[in-house]
Amino acid sequence: MNARRATPWVACLLVLLGIVLVGLRAYTRRELQLASGESLWRLTYTVKFQTETAGARLSAAFPFDTAHCRVFRQNVLHPELQPERLRSSLLASRGIDLLTLYPGEQNMTAKFDIHLSRRARFRAHDQESSLSAQARAEWLRSDKMVQADSAVVVETLQNIRRETPPSGDLVQRLFEYCHTQIAAGEDAAPSDATGALKKKAGSPIGRTRAFAALCRASKTPARVVTGFVMEENDNLEPRVWVEAWLGDRWVPFEPENGFARELPYNYLAVRRDGGDIVRVARGSGLETHFAALRLPPGPGAGRSKHHSLVALADLTRLPLEMHEVLSLILLLPIGGLVTAFFRTIIGIRTFGTFTPTLIALSFVFADWRTGVFVFVLVLLAGLISRTFLDRLKLLMVPRLSTVLTLVVLCIIFCVSLLDMLRLTPGAQAVLLPMVILTMTIERFYLTSEEDGTGFAFQLLAGTVVVAFCCYLVLRWAAVGRFLFMFPEAHLFTIAVLILMGRYTGYRLTELLRFRDFGPTHKPTEPRS
Amino acid sequence: MTTRGRLWAWPGELRARGILGINRRNADFVLPANPRSHYPRVDDKLLSKKFCEERGIPVPETYAIIEREGDIRGFPDCVRARPQFVIKPASGSGGRGITVVADHDNEKFRTSGGAELELAEVRYHLSTIISGLYSLGGQQDRAIIEQRIIRHAVFEHIAVGGTPDIRVVLYRSVPVMAMVRLPTSASRGRANLHQGAVAAAVDLRMGETFGGVCKDRVISEHPDTGATIEGLRIPFWDKLLEAAQKLAEALEMGYVGVDFVLDATVGPVVLEANARPGLAIQVANRCGLAHRLEFLDAQPPEMFAPARRVELVSAMSEMK
Repeated sequence: MNARRATPWVACLLVLLGIVLVGLRAYTRRELQLASGESLWRLTYTVKFQTETAGARLSAAFPFDTAHCRVFRQNVLHPELQPERLRSSLLASRGIDLLTLYPGEQNMTAKFDIHLSRRARFRAHDQESSLSAQARAEWLRSDKMVQADSAVVVETLQNIRRETPPSGDLVQRLFEYCHTQIAAGEDAAPSDATGALKKKAGSPIGRTRAFAALCRASKTPARVVTGFVMEENDNLEPRVWVEAWLGDRWVPFEPENGFARELPYNYLAVRRDGGDIVRVARGSGLETHFAALRLPPGPGAGRSKHHSLVALADLTRLPLEMHEVLSLILLLPIGGLVTAFFRTIIGIRTFGTFTPTLIALSFVFADWRTGVFVFVLVLLAGLISRTFLDRLKLLMVPRLSTVLTLVVLCIIFCVSLLDMLRLTPGAQAVLLPMVILTMTIERFYLTSEEDGTGFAFQLLAGTVVVAFCCYLVLRWAAVGRFLFMFPEAHLFTIAVLILMGRYTGYRLTELLRFRDFGPTHKPTEPRS
Repeated sequence: MTTRGRLWAWPGELRARGILGINRRNADFVLPANPRSHYPRVDDKLLSKKFCEERGIPVPETYAIIEREGDIRGFPDCVRARPQFVIKPASGSGGRGITVVADHDNEKFRTSGGAELELAEVRYHLSTIISGLYSLGGQQDRAIIEQRIIRHAVFEHIAVGGTPDIRVVLYRSVPVMAMVRLPTSASRGRANLHQGAVAAAVDLRMGETFGGVCKDRVISEHPDTGATIEGLRIPFWDKLLEAAQKLAEALEMGYVGVDFVLDATVGPVVLEANARPGLAIQVANRCGLAHRLEFLDAQPPEMFAPARRVELVSAMSEMK
């Protein structure tokens, strides 16, 4: 019994290795000191508005990841608002669109934990090295507030041009002009390009737009950026500046404070199309409030150099969009663990080995009531149609595909039905494992034909029970967070699985199955 | 022997009785004794048949093998002269996908269960077999059309609607335990314990039935006919045991179950072999497998020579 003796050793080794790795990482995490020039911040949006109707839209833009700034955690709360889409376009803006479900007062809170660095140490996700013709046209266009083709703008440009030597830097001259010749006005001062140039005075946004308009008139693509300057402040005002395309990259200019070509590292870009950070369509009374708070050093903030081995295991350094998916993938082995426990220790049989895990996983994504409703309906419809299909005597693959198509249609119509009942499910609610469902329907049908309906229901019940237990474990947020912090903890999972793989004791169901052997008769000694 | 009112047995009690659980069967016997590369020898019935034929062990005569959709067209011709035959998937398990035709006129096929099938339905059945519906993992399969075994008169009163089969479990080529599985109306004529067939233990030395199990519970009478299933002498028993040992040796599978049917004239005919024989045989025998297997593991290698195996077999039959 070589395998029997080796198993506990392998398991012990894995557990030890796991403890060492998790311990080391936990220790370095605790010892984490931010390098000088680095800081962690929490940026909070609080948004309130009124609507008269359902279907009003709230669009909020989120901070960009740049070379100096990295969002490492994000939490958006929007009770009674339906996410329409999560935008993560790397260029124009990152953010969320929400639709109101009911009239009345609406709220949204968004929190971002941000790592700022004086050095350009992060991988910037906003760097373009070339500008498409379409984008170029877009950033040269004249619009309502940035009137690049108005007479005042053209005239001002000609004046500046005349004073600039042919070899001189025109953009720099334009910037100097806006910074020195247009006075900083109160909020009542003009906030559009023409107004600011005419009056030689403007609000911050007015001066910025004037500069952008002059750039565009001189055929230099320019865009107005909205963002924040990170400093501890519980009433943070959005700031605006301009990025001009100087041949090969976007270069920032801020006429308000006179920063040209380089901004302090704590300037945080949020929106790059000149729009407001939070906008509402078909709503009123929009109140937005922004606050920035400095955080103590803690877990989750990126630390060591980008390419070190420790960084490889640190999943929190990955872009936010990947966090949810990765945590879910990391939970899959836990589902396998639960299934293995039920099958080898308890002895409950299921349809397919990983069917319960996958069903449970889809329920974690979905609101479980919607999930159960859709699941039961699909299973019923699938079984009924499968019974009819049997009469057509189809070959296996076309038949399975037919059932799959019916399952897909059924799910789609369930969504439509729920929507009609004003119970619109999130799109994720219907991410049921359709292929797995199809196979379950097929197996259920065949088992009830071959081994009797009772046995088929027994297997179905087993599948549901195991799926439910998997669901309870998978939903356990603390487990997911821990595994995301310490993916190497799965060494423990493997150790437990290996031990289970050598479990030769009775399954719990066998104690029932062989109960007739219960009475304590002395077994007769083997005679040889 | 049975005590009513107990809903479960404690692990200690089962261990004392030598009951083998699925986990231990797999980890300690099936995995070490059955090399994975030899599994096709039992999973593929055509290959098992070849092994038997090469060693002179009787198997049902193969009338035709249908490998491709195109071959189905030739099916009516190949059964024209055979009033009775069996259709089975080459890689099926647990009796799935087996149709026994008792009579036909090339258009209507009457099964042993009494159902009547159109030719089109039989052809559809053949094509589902080929498409792999019954095979492990759903790979392409072949359909075997073979001789129907006429059941031996000895089972007249204790088999309903089908043919009983005899399962011998062998460990290191020594017969360890045996049982006969009797179809019932609940099992719809199949000798599958899962579906409600009855099993009676068979004494290894004498070939005489005793004990009995139905749906994992101890019984002693056939549930349909009320006839006692104990004390029945199975004809050709020595021949059957000898064939089982020969086949287990040939397959090189250490832990294997061999299924026989008794033909009225030929005697024991091998139906199939199984690399993971079920554990209900223990309930039928009212005795666990574990002590017998451990006993065999403790024997010196020379005891396993064919000539001395008789001693081991009789030791097996005496262990309770």
